[in-house]
Amino acid sequence: MIMGSPAMMALAVAAPFVAVLFILFAPRRLTEVWGFIAAGIAALACASLLPAVLGGAVPEQHLLTLMPGMELVFRADALGLTFALLASGLWIITGVYSGGYARADNLKHRPRYFAAFAASVGAALGVAFAGNLLTFFIFYETLTLSTYPLVVHKESEKAYAAGRRYLLFALGSGLAMLTAIAWTWQITGSLDFTPGGFLAGQVAGPQLAVLFTLFILGVSVKAAVMPLHSWLPAAMVAPTPVSALLHAVAVVKAGVFGVMRVIGFVFGPAALADFGGDEILAGLAAATIVIGSLIALRQDNLKRRLAYSTVVHLSYIVLGAALLTPYGLVGSTMHMVNHGLAKITLFFCAGAIYVTTHRENISQLTGLGRQMPWTFGAFTVGSLALVGIPGLSGFVGKFFLARGAIQGDDVIALAIMLGASLLTASYLLPIVRIAFFPGLTPEGEAYPTHRAEAPRSMLVPLLVTSVLVVIFGVLPYAIGTQYELADLVAERVFSAARFVGDGAAPLVVEGAAGLGGGGMP
Amino acid sequence: MTTSNLPVLLFVIPFVASLFAAGGGWLVRGAEKWVTLAALALTAALSLLALPQVLASGSLHTHLGGWAPPIGIEVLLDPLSAFMAVVVSVVAFIVVAGAGPQIAEELHGRETVWYATVLLLTSGLMGLVITNDLFNLFVQIEVVSLSAYALVAAGGRGAPRAGLNYLIIGSMGASMYLIGAGFLFAATGSLNITDVAARLGEADPRLALSAGLLIVAGLGIKMALFPLHVWMPRAYAVSPTVSASLMAPLVTKVSAYALLRVIFWVFGAGTLVVEELLLHVIAWAGALAALFGGVLAFLQKDIRRLLAYSSVGQMGIVALGIGIANTSGLTGAVLHIASDALMKAVLFLAAGIALLRFGVRNVDELHLLRGRAPWTAAAMTVALLSLVGVPPLSGFFGKWYVLSAALIEGRWALAAALVIGSLATIGYSFRIIEKLYFTPVEADAAGPREGQVPVVAACVVMAALLVVVGLSNDWIVRVLVLPGLPGMAAFGMVP
Repeated sequence: MIMGSPAMMALAVAAPFVAVLFILFAPRRLTEVWGFIAAGIAALACASLLPAVLGGAVPEQHLLTLMPGMELVFRADALGLTFALLASGLWIITGVYSGGYARADNLKHRPRYFAAFAASVGAALGVAFAGNLLTFFIFYETLTLSTYPLVVHKESEKAYAAGRRYLLFALGSGLAMLTAIAWTWQITGSLDFTPGGFLAGQVAGPQLAVLFTLFILGVSVKAAVMPLHSWLPAAMVAPTPVSALLHAVAVVKAGVFGVMRVIGFVFGPAALADFGGDEILAGLAAATIVIGSLIALRQDNLKRRLAYSTVVHLSYIVLGAALLTPYGLVGSTMHMVNHGLAKITLFFCAGAIYVTTHRENISQLTGLGRQMPWTFGAFTVGSLALVGIPGLSGFVGKFFLARGAIQGDDVIALAIMLGASLLTASYLLPIVRIAFFPGLTPEGEAYPTHRAEAPRSMLVPLLVTSVLVVIFGVLPYAIGTQYELADLVAERVFSAARFVGDGAAPLVVEGAAGLGGGGMP
Repeated sequence: MTTSNLPVLLFVIPFVASLFAAGGGWLVRGAEKWVTLAALALTAALSLLALPQVLASGSLHTHLGGWAPPIGIEVLLDPLSAFMAVVVSVVAFIVVAGAGPQIAEELHGRETVWYATVLLLTSGLMGLVITNDLFNLFVQIEVVSLSAYALVAAGGRGAPRAGLNYLIIGSMGASMYLIGAGFLFAATGSLNITDVAARLGEADPRLALSAGLLIVAGLGIKMALFPLHVWMPRAYAVSPTVSASLMAPLVTKVSAYALLRVIFWVFGAGTLVVEELLLHVIAWAGALAALFGGVLAFLQKDIRRLLAYSSVGQMGIVALGIGIANTSGLTGAVLHIASDALMKAVLFLAAGIALLRFGVRNVDELHLLRGRAPWTAAAMTVALLSLVGVPPLSGFFGKWYVLSAALIEGRWALAAALVIGSLATIGYSFRIIEKLYFTPVEADAAGPREGQVPVVAACVVMAALLVVVGLSNDWIVRVLVLPGLPGMAAFGMVP
């Protein structure tokens, strides 16, 4: 049986990179097609691993020895597969959208654009399946380098500035991570991600703290934890499909994914709790949530507001992981997916609005809901999901995040999570309001109501993702599968750490059956 | 331990061929090129042949003229020198073979002398790599230096002066080395490296220390170890591009190797006091070099000056590895010598294409290459990413091992210098990449196109080698590098 074998990981990672070659060297008119094909292959390959992983297996593949004792390893555990499914699945949809956007916006340098896009997704999949820190680092750096051309794509002064800042932040933090990895290797002689961590008991207090700082410095740039977040709003200068898939899903999620890997699979909850590293990280994440929300309120540029919203929701995920409770980790894993679905919808909408009307600012969107009802309908769904309305995907992850805070007796975290949901509502819902209920123009006339939607190749993808937002909010099978994966992550991390008895409530392994119809147990 | 004539051939072939190239070129126009290429190909083939032999059945020795050491000169091909010989001869062959059109363009009418000098340079470099005699090492340094001065001075305006500058500073370096070697002779009564090492323990430590410092300073000048690097940027910026393409990858690298060899094969077996002080000097000079080399490179306008400062930084990493002196550090030093040879060969050849084809001397004009020289740009990008240390390109591994070495020993300041220097490397590398790929340029169909095929092919081949070498790093470290390192146990070092 080929499908579902460990080789599928290599296939999923290789397909986008092969597509890069085709995009660059095959005839021009097929440029958009290769990425689409690769996306299909990658998503199928990832999906084929799902039954085995749900069954508790961890497919593993050794690729190459890079240094004595150090190998490139792919491993599909529940966390990695969740991320891989998210990235590859959304890439298919973005592939359609990207083609439409490129035509509608008359995008230049298309081969470079599509090639870098494919390489970025390939790198994200490599990050997802990385079985040890070295493999992770290689693809993490590849991700930085392959996203850079997309950030500077417009070749304006603003784009260069954003690109330089991005490189400085991302590669600079990469050096911190490299140092941390080399050090870890010296101390433990191992780099393998191990549920529950492998540093526990090997390093003493202050050294552990420095090591943790270096690791977090390394991953928190992509996770846009303040004060290392500023590259993300600047990177919004990139074409919108990039903002949608990479700056809301693949790249930034690679960052939070890295945070979860570091916490759950390198240090382990027990070791972290020992020296209080979790509290510092939780403090940073909490501050990011509050400050980011307040900044988002003041942005008039739609993409920038969405970017700050991303900053905020990434920190939800970081906070969930830093709570060091099983439900917190479940919530983080689920919110990683659910925020991705909702946010990509919002960015798709922003792109659709831009190519149709060339408006970028929220204050210019007044009354546009009547002209673009489908787009703004999807925007509404995405916004409500991010706010955390039950029945939409965003609720599920936030529910478990809140439960994680309760499990850890962390009232402050709980208050911040709930309070920031209100803030989310107050910076996203006004957009919906002015679009649909504009009142009258300053001249006292009604806003135009003729239909002017974006091309279908852009409209259909954004409707599909908004339907996905609903599906992952109501359909028991979808939520159940997603929950089972997240649950596997928490179960492995926390049972290995023997943390459950440590004052926290024992983790109840729940099946999908308990979670019907969006109603929670 | 086998006696063989193979090692000698490695430097005798280019030496003799140099005479033939000069004579042949005088008799038949163009003959010098083919003599040179044949000699370099033969040297490369022989060193590739010697390497497995050395690895399988131990070091190869030759006693020149049949005189046994300590009286006669000994040539030694051990795993380390055999590996270095491969690096030097292969890079020299690829560069000279590829740079043909550039040579014809830049040195029109003077090719004969240039080719003959290149062979002389290669002969000196190979001799430096495989000699086991301190005085012979000096002779080879002089052979390298004299031919290098000539290669620099062959350039246009300012080149003779830069050559003279190089000559004066270089001679100081060689003299310091020679005095140091003389001290060692006075202390031990021998010039054979193995011999000196065996007797150094009984020598006066003050004499040994003076000798050590002089030798470190002398070789430090040759390898452009900060702050002894001042001769290099100017020399490489005004010399003919082809001379820089050959010298930049090899001269400083082989000098670094010579330093490693003398430190660990001569002093390593001697008194520990001497050893420790010398290592400290080297490590700190390396740290400063890694730091300032990167920063100064970032500040340059001229591409070749930038690359020269980049070499200062990379040699700093090598010196760090040597100075930290554990297995990881030395592994990193050896790997980085090899990688930087390849990276600088690609980058200087590409800089030559930029200057000769596009008239581009400064980084800010590099956008003129955009879309017109895709292969050159791609090769340059690979080399720059390797310089930055992006895995799995070969430049990553040298940095990794040296960084690990500093972390093992808990020498945080050295590790920090390496990391900050790397940050500057990111800066100057992406300055170039941004120009090559992302800076708008007016469409002008009539403008110049990609460089000549052999030059570009040489760049692409070596860029591909950076990938291949990186991916086979495990094999290289286990089979080629580790067996060549000095016995670590002697210094109480962590394996």
